[in-house]
Amino acid sequence: MFILGAGVLLLGLAVVLWVVHLDSVVTREFQGRHWSVPARVFAAPLELYVGAPVAAADLDEELHRLHYRSGDPAAGPGFYRRRGEVFEVHARRVRFIDELREPMQVSIRAGGDSITDLRQADGTELPVFRLDPPVVGSVFPVHGEDRLVLSPDEVPPLLRSGIKLIEDRRFDAHPGVDLLGILRAMWANVRARRVVQGGSTLTQQLVKNYFLSDEQTLGRKATEAVMALRLERHFSKAEILLAYLNEVYLGQDGARAVHGFGLASEFYFAKPLAELDVGELALLIGLVKGPSFYDPRKHSERALARRDLVVRELADAHLIDATAAARAAASPLGLRPPGGSYVPAYLDLVRRHLKRDYAEADLAAAGLAVYTSLDPRAQAAAEHALAQNLKRLDAASRVRNDHLEGAVIVAEPNSGDVVAVVGGREADSAGFDRALDARRPIGSLVKPAVYLTALETGRYTAATLIEDAPIELKLEDGSTWAPQNFEHVIYGRVPMARALAESMNLATVRLGLDLGLPQVVDTLQHLGLETRPALNPSLLLGSVEMTPLEVVQVYTALANGGFRARLRAVHAVLDEHGRPLKSFKVQVEEAAPPAAVYQLDRMLTLVTTHGTGRDAPNRLPRGTVVAGKTGTSSDTRDSWFAGFTGSYLSVVWVGYDDNRPTGLTGAAGALPVWADTLARLKSVSFQPVPPENLEERWISFKDGLETTPACSADAVAIAVPKDSVLAGEPGCNSSPGNAPAPPGSLPEKMKAWIKNLVR
Amino acid sequence: MDQEPRALTAAAALAVLAGALLVSGCPAPAPRASSASAPMPAAPTASSPAPSSGSAPAVPTPAPRPAPPPRENHLSPATRSLVTQARTLMAHGDLDGASSTLDRALRIEPNNPLLWIERGRLRLAENDAHQAEGCGRKALALASGDRSTQHQAGRLLADALRAQQRNQEARAVETQPYMN
Repeated sequence: MFILGAGVLLLGLAVVLWVVHLDSVVTREFQGRHWSVPARVFAAPLELYVGAPVAAADLDEELHRLHYRSGDPAAGPGFYRRRGEVFEVHARRVRFIDELREPMQVSIRAGGDSITDLRQADGTELPVFRLDPPVVGSVFPVHGEDRLVLSPDEVPPLLRSGIKLIEDRRFDAHPGVDLLGILRAMWANVRARRVVQGGSTLTQQLVKNYFLSDEQTLGRKATEAVMALRLERHFSKAEILLAYLNEVYLGQDGARAVHGFGLASEFYFAKPLAELDVGELALLIGLVKGPSFYDPRKHSERALARRDLVVRELADAHLIDATAAARAAASPLGLRPPGGSYVPAYLDLVRRHLKRDYAEADLAAAGLAVYTSLDPRAQAAAEHALAQNLKRLDAASRVRNDHLEGAVIVAEPNSGDVVAVVGGREADSAGFDRALDARRPIGSLVKPAVYLTALETGRYTAATLIEDAPIELKLEDGSTWAPQNFEHVIYGRVPMARALAESMNLATVRLGLDLGLPQVVDTLQHLGLETRPALNPSLLLGSVEMTPLEVVQVYTALANGGFRARLRAVHAVLDEHGRPLKSFKVQVEEAAPPAAVYQLDRMLTLVTTHGTGRDAPNRLPRGTVVAGKTGTSSDTRDSWFAGFTGSYLSVVWVGYDDNRPTGLTGAAGALPVWADTLARLKSVSFQPVPPENLEERWISFKDGLETTPACSADAVAIAVPKDSVLAGEPGCNSSPGNAPAPPGSLPEKMKAWIKNLVR
Repeated sequence: MDQEPRALTAAAALAVLAGALLVSGCPAPAPRASSASAPMPAAPTASSPAPSSGSAPAVPTPAPRPAPPPRENHLSPATRSLVTQARTLMAHGDLDGASSTLDRALRIEPNNPLLWIERGRLRLAENDAHQAEGCGRKALALASGDRSTQHQAGRLLADALRAQQRNQEARAVETQPYMN
């Protein structure tokens, strides 16, 4: 008797402990549920202002990307109407980093290649207006899941009442478990001799989703029931319903599970939940019962029948009127086409920069919004350019089944904003991200650092003659290193400008050794290289290995007048209340003397007019000044191009994943990708502000003698410190009146040609 | 190597010339608008075509100029309105908001030294003198040839150096010719 009593007591105790345990699990997990919620990631909003380089077609495309629908803008936010050049847009309520903007109507005129007028609905001029930042994905996908977390005011009332009607009629009355519902379900199952009803409450479904596996055992059922009861004790009905709406599984997008009505709305209809009509909402509500069974893309008949059933029930319960029901039942499913803008390589960079710039604990909060500098237009241009060119190069290759790979990064050098990242030719498949992780010898991309080191000493100018002659070096390991020029030609004494433009190896090695390897490595590090390469002479020809991203960082300082802007993908992270998380601000530091960088940059523009990068400006508007450098590693294993206009810096790598020779120089492999990428973006000329202590002079490209365009067909403009003494071409007038204008103000050849014309 | 085609007609040459002048981005002086009520040193705020647009109409001037005329930097209507917004946010103590708004302006006109001066002033208000120094140096480099803007940039740079107790360097900046 006593033993029995003790047994009962122990059993009771165990049950109590079990319940207490489940209670604590439920409370802790429910409150901590935010931990598993990834942050939404936004691309940069399209800025509109008079003069903005946005054509009507661009604007149309962007509005389409943002899922604005054609219609009377007076109908509400999310609608726009285009009449020729004029767009009337009813912009949605949008949270920006610095502002929560209420819906507003604007009128935009896009004439030719740019915005020509911008007004509010009442006709007042708007100096500047930005469209919604497009959502491009989310980060921290725990268990490969993804969410667009809804706040209470984002839940349409019809969804709230509709989901209760279809899934759990007594939700507002039961304590978490619905005994009546279970009895009714059992009765229905017995009558039908199979399971036709589940009898699970929304609370139980939520618990199941949160904490439990899918196995159907009695023990699990009991755990689920106890947890549901405890959850209801601790949290309100409204909180539980909201969590349910954010948690419920509604479909599968490849490897990504679609959870929550917010994401489902984007996934199936490509619009925010608030814009769904009755039929669309009914379809989502109907999907809860079986997202794969009723998958509207695979089984549209089933999905349609299910939707119509939900519509009928909503009408029977008077949640919608008969007209709305009839209209909903008559409408098509209205699905958006599958696919879309998925940018894994860019998100990869976002993840790394979040880790770099933010405290981990802050990032764990719920409902974060990450605002990035991604430019969807640049991203699309880079993806397209890489895919097309690799296809072409593969086809031209003699080896069958060749599969070249590549990477492209596009940045705005002034801000360090990274606007596009392509990590491979299959841009939309997550995998090895070459843009961030492929560390390869950079070949001649290193040379500008050698020439910059020379200019910084003050002993060299672009006109200084250096020796391109054979050289043999005894290395530390006892071997002999005898570099050669790519064309196996020896050029003799050449001006620095030409040695760089034609990427002469012998001249560069000799120059670098004169300057000292440590000095060259110092320059690289000042420019932003974070590793310190070994002091091997072959580094002068680019044996140093870098990722495309590292190359971008180094070239940013060259494209930015000697100022290093730390690369960034993330502009700001806002918490669910719109408050910014603490982060690092843009870092702008002088990396190299601006005057030396200016002289180097002028030499880099000669690369694209007279040197190995001559094809770079071909696809840009005529006269656009471009600076850049080709790079080819030994045996053509890596093909590189790094180049910049006044608007963008882009670095391209092309090669094989297994490091085989490609047979492609930088000019043949990477350069066309660069040119095609930049051709689809709108660039202004690279046209830095000349420092006051420099002046423009003409030299002969071939031999470096000072000359005039009238005198020499190969006259090129260079920048040198004021009053530099240059050896002159005999009989050529090199008075200051013939000084060339800074680049971009007038193509030098054109000027020479005009001169000949007027003479 | 690349020979300029001699067959260009004079008309085509003029068109190219006009285009070349367009991208030269030397801002045309325009009526000055005032924003002097702002709490920071007022920047010249006359309008000019945004340098990133490169497509505003211009009068073709075929005469090649031997030396560029003195530059004058301006804000476009778009960036001027953003600067005004940023200053308002700053006055209300929303430095983060002001910073983001200035970022917007800089994306539109990345090479405008006036915007770098605004950003530097903001960094000073945030007690980030090191970053303010970077902005000051950048502004100074971009202001080359524009005395008035050089003066403002030099002021910012000197203030940023002083805030870092680098008084000697600050004095060196203050004795530059453009500071008179």
